[in-house]
Amino acid sequence: MLKGIGASDGIGIGHVLLIVEPSLHYTPTTVTDVDAELTRYRSAVEQFCDNTTAQAESIRRSTGDKEAEILEGHIAIIRDPFMGGEIEKLIQAQQCAEAAVEQICQMFIDMFSSTGDDLTMQRAADLRDIKDGLLSILLGVQEVKISDAPAGTILVCKELTPSMTAGIKKENIVGIVTETGSQTSHSAILARALEIPAVLSISGAVNQLSSGELVIVDGKAGCVVTAPSPEEVETYRNKREAFLRERRELEAYRGKKTVDADGTAYELVCNIGTPKDAHQAMEADGEGVGLFRTEFLFMDRDRLPTEDEQFEAYKQASLILKGKPLIIRTLDIGGDKDIPYLGLAKEENPFMGFRAIRYCLKNRDLFKSQIKAILRASAFGDIRIMFPLITAVEELRAGKSLVEEVKANLRTSHISFDENIKVGVMTETAASGVIADLLAKEADFFSIGTNDLTGYTMAADRGNRDVSYLYSPLQPSVLRMIRRIITCAAEAGIPVGMCGEAAANPMIIPLLLSFGLTEFSVSAPSVLKVRKNIAKWTKAEADAITEKVMAMTTESEITAYLTSVIG
Amino acid sequence: MVSKNVTLVNAQGFHMRPASVFATAMGKYASSVTIKFNGNNYNAKSLLNIIAACIKCGSTIELVCDGPDENEALAEGVQMIESGLGE
Repeated sequence: MLKGIGASDGIGIGHVLLIVEPSLHYTPTTVTDVDAELTRYRSAVEQFCDNTTAQAESIRRSTGDKEAEILEGHIAIIRDPFMGGEIEKLIQAQQCAEAAVEQICQMFIDMFSSTGDDLTMQRAADLRDIKDGLLSILLGVQEVKISDAPAGTILVCKELTPSMTAGIKKENIVGIVTETGSQTSHSAILARALEIPAVLSISGAVNQLSSGELVIVDGKAGCVVTAPSPEEVETYRNKREAFLRERRELEAYRGKKTVDADGTAYELVCNIGTPKDAHQAMEADGEGVGLFRTEFLFMDRDRLPTEDEQFEAYKQASLILKGKPLIIRTLDIGGDKDIPYLGLAKEENPFMGFRAIRYCLKNRDLFKSQIKAILRASAFGDIRIMFPLITAVEELRAGKSLVEEVKANLRTSHISFDENIKVGVMTETAASGVIADLLAKEADFFSIGTNDLTGYTMAADRGNRDVSYLYSPLQPSVLRMIRRIITCAAEAGIPVGMCGEAAANPMIIPLLLSFGLTEFSVSAPSVLKVRKNIAKWTKAEADAITEKVMAMTTESEITAYLTSVIG
Repeated sequence: MVSKNVTLVNAQGFHMRPASVFATAMGKYASSVTIKFNGNNYNAKSLLNIIAACIKCGSTIELVCDGPDENEALAEGVQMIESGLGE
């Protein structure tokens, strides 16, 4: 079994087709007939454009405009007068066309790769593709035709290039395996768009697999089963059937509103950790972002991010969401999340210590620069601010007054921002649950963080085997806490969401509907499942179950009952 | 030689498509067209040069045109950028 990154869900059972890039080796020569070499170069360019136009047409039919545009971009690049001019200059200096193409393409590849900018670095992949395409034509190398692959083919290659994907016929390619790539790489996005199971980043896949051998690609587990036994094939075939059935059922919910069986609408949004994750939220049909964790900006580095760096990240996420709501949680460090360069002291009891809002309110410069970055980004979309770990009204007031202070600064410097930006509380401590009525009067919204709320309410660490049995959102105490927070929000007339794992739990969803939750914030892959689960319930049915549950005395009783009615 | 400062307003900045549209339009002019950004000069008739500049939304660039039709080139270039490069 080979392990990699599961990048496109599903099971593919089929025979390997190795895509080994043909050797593009050549011996550089000194050209004597410069005009003939220029003609050879120019006709290679024409042929490249013809091939690419044909590929773009075919991919437009199979996959869509967006992918076709990537290929049409290749034509624009190769027709770039500057690049063409530089290549021809080298040929005029008696270099052979191959060497001229390679040098100039490589110059741009290096230039783009070194920018550190995502979008620009992706263009380096296009230039590599163009370079190889031109060299293949100049050298007369035949490329493996993916479009001729028979039904039941598993493509195995180093990297899926845009020109390769142009040849993919959805009905014939049942799986994709590559040596490079990640969840967010172009290959992954394409595989998901084509609904082909894909496992990326298996190093040495091309050498370890051979054309014609039977393998199973498990895009969920992120592995490739080699030499499967007949029993394994049978097991995976059943898994495949079940997966496809579920996908068909879930796809029916794509593009639909999130409503319960009575037609009452809810917000269904995603939790994300980086600006790029916003793409996945959109792909998954999320209606926005209910929790953007900002710790990534501060971790894996040796100094604080600047206000501008933060602003760019928040703005990027907001632009990706195209006007859909984005709740940004301010820095939540401390506890189990250490940032070495902040030099936080080791604590006896870090979860009850100097963390999150407590740290930020004591380090006002750091906090103000984050708030300023968020406010500046709020000019570009529907952004809201959320403070973590609130335990007392003073903390919310202190945070809000800093927001006002920063707003005043921005006004003075004529920098635009959303004057009416909403400021909410992540209710995740037992204290915030108990004073939810007081907080609701001063907060614009609540979002219940059930992971910490469960831990703090039960005083139990779920990582500790001896006490983890206590850690359950179905504990009567936790359910009462959740109900109280939702009720207090409803009484104050503010929206209340949930961004913990419980929001995606099918057993808990009817309780949340009955309590009156207005927003569910879940991981991107759960969006359609949660929408389907919400659609199952009428208010009356959810109320009936909730009434029984809230009359029960123990967690085991509640779990047994919910398992029997929901399963 | 004529020049003008102009701020990018389209969300994605000078990425592939806007760069391509812009380079093609500027290519029509006999004058040289240069983008000055972050202390560097980029040939605005080359989409690859424009992409390499990594110019994001909100950035201000200086557009410099030099040649027989410099006024027309500058006017069209500024107008294209200010109107969001067709995005």
